[in-house]
Amino acid sequence: MSAGPEHARRVRVWDPALRMFHWSLAALVIANILLGKFGPNVMTLHFWLGYAIIALLVFRLVWGFIGPEPARFGSFLRGPSAIADYGTHLFRRQPSHSHGHNPIGAISALAMLIALGWQAVTGLMSDPEDFVNIGPLADNVGSATAKAAVGWHHAGANLVLILIGLHLAAILFYRVWKNEDLIRPMITGWKWVRGR
Amino acid sequence: MRLIALTATLATTLLPVLAHADAAEDALEARHGYMKMLALNMGTLSGMAKGEIAYDEAAASKAGSNIEALSGYAVADLFIEGTAMGEVDDSEALPAIWENPDQFAQKFAALSEAAAGAGEAVKGGQENVAPALQKLGGTCKDCHDDFRKK
Repeated sequence: MSAGPEHARRVRVWDPALRMFHWSLAALVIANILLGKFGPNVMTLHFWLGYAIIALLVFRLVWGFIGPEPARFGSFLRGPSAIADYGTHLFRRQPSHSHGHNPIGAISALAMLIALGWQAVTGLMSDPEDFVNIGPLADNVGSATAKAAVGWHHAGANLVLILIGLHLAAILFYRVWKNEDLIRPMITGWKWVRGR
Repeated sequence: MRLIALTATLATTLLPVLAHADAAEDALEARHGYMKMLALNMGTLSGMAKGEIAYDEAAASKAGSNIEALSGYAVADLFIEGTAMGEVDDSEALPAIWENPDQFAQKFAALSEAAAGAGEAVKGGQENVAPALQKLGGTCKDCHDDFRKK
């Protein structure tokens, strides 16, 4: 552990459960987008993957309160001044050495969770009027809402795609511009951090 | 003379407009009725597939046959020009219907194909309803995805 950047040390920021959550979520969400857009018209598999994603989201919500420090909402969600401060030196060509999510990345993580939560809710409510792919909660919300939910679910899918694009662009930006690898820590858990 | 001429002019210019609006509204109304009839019969099959309605071979077969008969209707007459979303109230038909008429026709052909023999397919037991229903419903979804307002 000698050649590390000055004052930075290598610590285990992402716990195994969180890493498992991350990669499972990535795989299931991508699979479900593909199934939704190009999959069979009888969407049984899309439904089951959706339920699995809901289970993952519930885990993340719980982990955000009882998980290790870097996983906690109270720890990574920062106020406007911390976000603005991080923004002012975002374009410096040096690694952030953030202990987990940085203040701006935290917004992106939260946005992803909210967008996926939206997909879960609108998906459960959807009634595309095909008598086959009816969300289990469609009967509880009224037919007009259930029908509209299909449109909300499609719009939400586009939002998720945009957030995935931003997420990948940010990783590339950190890799190329800031010379910081964010992928390896999400695989091994270990990350160079400074402070805290 | 002038009055007659004016009236005649008005009549010849306005009447087609009025007639046209009527035709659009008629087509829309008929279309919604057509979809409603499909939905009623699909609802019967769906209820039986889910076990919410007790399986009744005759009723299931009737619903299947109705869908089969409906799928043979020449629906092009129900999707005349001027009945897209925004052109008449309550229309949910996307302009894509008139931009890709061949693709639209294909989707309806898929329904006819799925519906062929539906009246027979749902006979013989409750377990036969779901596969037939899924085959039919899949074609509903496929067309709604591309051609109906979301």
